[in-house]
Amino acid sequence: MSTGSDRPEGATPAPVHWAHKHLLDVDGLTRPDIELVMRTADEMHDVLARPIPKVPALRGLGVTILFYEASTRTRVSFEVAAKNLSADVVNIAAASSSVSKGESLVDTVRTVEALGADMIVMRHNVSGAPYLAAEIFGGSVLNGGDGWHAHPSQALLDLYTLRSRLPGGSLEGRKVVILGDALHSRVARSNIWTLTAMGADLWLCGPSTLLRGYDAWAAAGAAGRRFTVTSDVGAALRDADAVMALRIQKERMASGLLPSLREYAARYGLTAERLRAAKPEVIVMHPGPMNEGVEIAADVAAGPHSVVTDQVSNGVAVRMALLYLLAGTRRTEAGA
Amino acid sequence: MSGFEQTIRGWAVDPAVGREGAAEVVVRDGTLARLTWLEGAEADGISATGTLILPGLMDIHAHFREPGNEDAETVATGLAAAAHGGFTTVALMPNTTPAIDEPSVVARIRAAAAASGSPVRTLIYGSVTAGRRGETLSAMGELADAGVVGFSDDGASVRSASLLRNALMYAGSLGLPIVDHPEDSSLTEGAEAHEGLIASVLGLKGWPSAAEAGSIARSIAILEDVVRDVPGARLHLTHVSTTEGLEAVFAGLGKGLPVTSDVTPHHLAFTDEWIAGARRWSWDVPRGADAQTIDPWVSGGIVAPPFDPSLRVNPPLRSPDDASACWVHLAMGTAVAIATDHAPHTEVDKHVEFGWAINGISGIETALSVVLAGVAAGQLPLMKAVAALTTGPAFVLGDRAGIAPGLREGEPADLVVVDAGATWTVSAASLRSKGKNTPLLGRELPGVVRLVLAGGRVAYAEG
Repeated sequence: MSTGSDRPEGATPAPVHWAHKHLLDVDGLTRPDIELVMRTADEMHDVLARPIPKVPALRGLGVTILFYEASTRTRVSFEVAAKNLSADVVNIAAASSSVSKGESLVDTVRTVEALGADMIVMRHNVSGAPYLAAEIFGGSVLNGGDGWHAHPSQALLDLYTLRSRLPGGSLEGRKVVILGDALHSRVARSNIWTLTAMGADLWLCGPSTLLRGYDAWAAAGAAGRRFTVTSDVGAALRDADAVMALRIQKERMASGLLPSLREYAARYGLTAERLRAAKPEVIVMHPGPMNEGVEIAADVAAGPHSVVTDQVSNGVAVRMALLYLLAGTRRTEAGA
Repeated sequence: MSGFEQTIRGWAVDPAVGREGAAEVVVRDGTLARLTWLEGAEADGISATGTLILPGLMDIHAHFREPGNEDAETVATGLAAAAHGGFTTVALMPNTTPAIDEPSVVARIRAAAAASGSPVRTLIYGSVTAGRRGETLSAMGELADAGVVGFSDDGASVRSASLLRNALMYAGSLGLPIVDHPEDSSLTEGAEAHEGLIASVLGLKGWPSAAEAGSIARSIAILEDVVRDVPGARLHLTHVSTTEGLEAVFAGLGKGLPVTSDVTPHHLAFTDEWIAGARRWSWDVPRGADAQTIDPWVSGGIVAPPFDPSLRVNPPLRSPDDASACWVHLAMGTAVAIATDHAPHTEVDKHVEFGWAINGISGIETALSVVLAGVAAGQLPLMKAVAALTTGPAFVLGDRAGIAPGLREGEPADLVVVDAGATWTVSAASLRSKGKNTPLLGRELPGVVRLVLAGGRVAYAEG
């Protein structure tokens, strides 16, 4: 944990190394960028440990949380994070609308900007939508999850959680397994970038229908980032340092990708029995919400290896760090 | 035109007779009065990299949106765009509102073309099925009497195999082709980008090559069955975009079946990498034995933000290897035509989330330039490229269309003069089309169209 824990207090100088106006994806983050997020999150973690976990870093800044998709934990996490930083928070739960009905995203973003927002935290069910918002919006856009594409704050809080639990705080050479429906998962896609950037030995495991496309990615090794793709759950879990189970949605049966939830649970569910193949101190993660008894057994979810509640509390610290860093670039621009 | 005489010197290319070289063309009173192939010293300084004199181009796949979506394009603006692109003949797809499924819609479009005053010839397709709903046949015979040049449900394949079979027979007996959009929609529901590395990394729903190849194989199997009874049946597969799809067409040709196909300029030149933010031409993508080299994140190809909705198109932009296959199969004759699939759209429909953006690229004005860029890069000999924009498309539509591109003395001049050595910058203002939905906005392209004569009249003159 950092010692300079009161840096976010008061006038809060702009961080010097953070150069990103928006956080739309993690693919553009360098290792030093990620380290800066982690250090800043350490400081925010210390703030959260105080009796009154509030600092004035974002006082006077308008943060609009614009969610086009149902979400509880991410939305509330961002809201708590922004309020802890004393931002003025506006929540917009836009019903998921097609272009043909209702206001377009372009018009909504212009409206939000006219109403005084300095930052938008956006969740959308179409991959890439935050890029359109960033093209229109004068302030910063923070991607709170877009389609199957990216979930930067989740990947960074996952990384933060792993670092806090792994001996030495390093991912270098650690075997991390993402287990489940990677095809439809923005969490998996963002974790590929961050975990491989930090040197992890990353494995993706699940039924082949839910891993479609990842072989091409793994073979190409986009930006030199390599990982292993397998449907063999035994090979994936063997000597794993951490396992991240992903949510299986019922729609996957209707679209013919899986025979049944029961079969999935039997073949790929993260059970105590399966977990024995991993290292004794294996870390169990889940981005939530969990289907206990499907992708993860209830006793594993609540067991000694599980860090699921840490993920939630770390989420607030990491999101405070991201809001703080983005606000810093905003101030740098204004002052320039 | 009376008393008008113009002499043009340049590199003439006439696929109708298979000849190209330095030439002098004299146009008098709208007639191509004289074509002289220059020899020796007279030909000095004239080359294929300077002024080109080509037969008027022919586009067998364009959407002019009238009637029904005149905010996106009208017949008049579409014809102006065509002329600016060097095209003197266009064939319009019937996915209008209402669809072109009976003769009154044909008459309406003819009237709009006449009212525009444009000399560009307007050919019209009828739909295969009533309302393009894929259920019952359109008024095919009446449409044929009204002069349509073929039938298409473009935008979708004729999904029912039995209906396609009947359509091929019925149209075949009328002497007209079925122009099918090959896509097995059960494989492409909600699909956003070519299935492969780019879609996988960007989290876009994959659009597998098999959706195209499977549909083509099915349609060709049906054609093979139909031609036994109706020898006049003909199938044209439009905007074929994949290696597998082109190989399926090639297999049909190998059986001697009456099948033809076209490819688009965007599938020849752009690739799915562009959705990730690359903007290099397909032929500039570094390739080697190591698969890593086609990864734009590795090879430094990313120069723009990802998810540009102007790149959303059906069929989707494919891999660099697929683009190469399009060039190779043009050279081999598997694809006999380059068709633009000019698909103008409004900002309201296009400037939205990538996955919600309507499919289509406005391309009739950039087609010639894009093809010339490929020719300059050695993708295809100039003669073959010009043939694919003139005699090839005329072959697809056959005698019924009554178009014979070529530089023939004594006939009304129908030609395009383009400076292959000059460049222009694509901008919203430079495009005559109402559709500004092209990823080439801001890009400098080779090939400036100087003069277009259609049927002896000036369709476009620079300045």
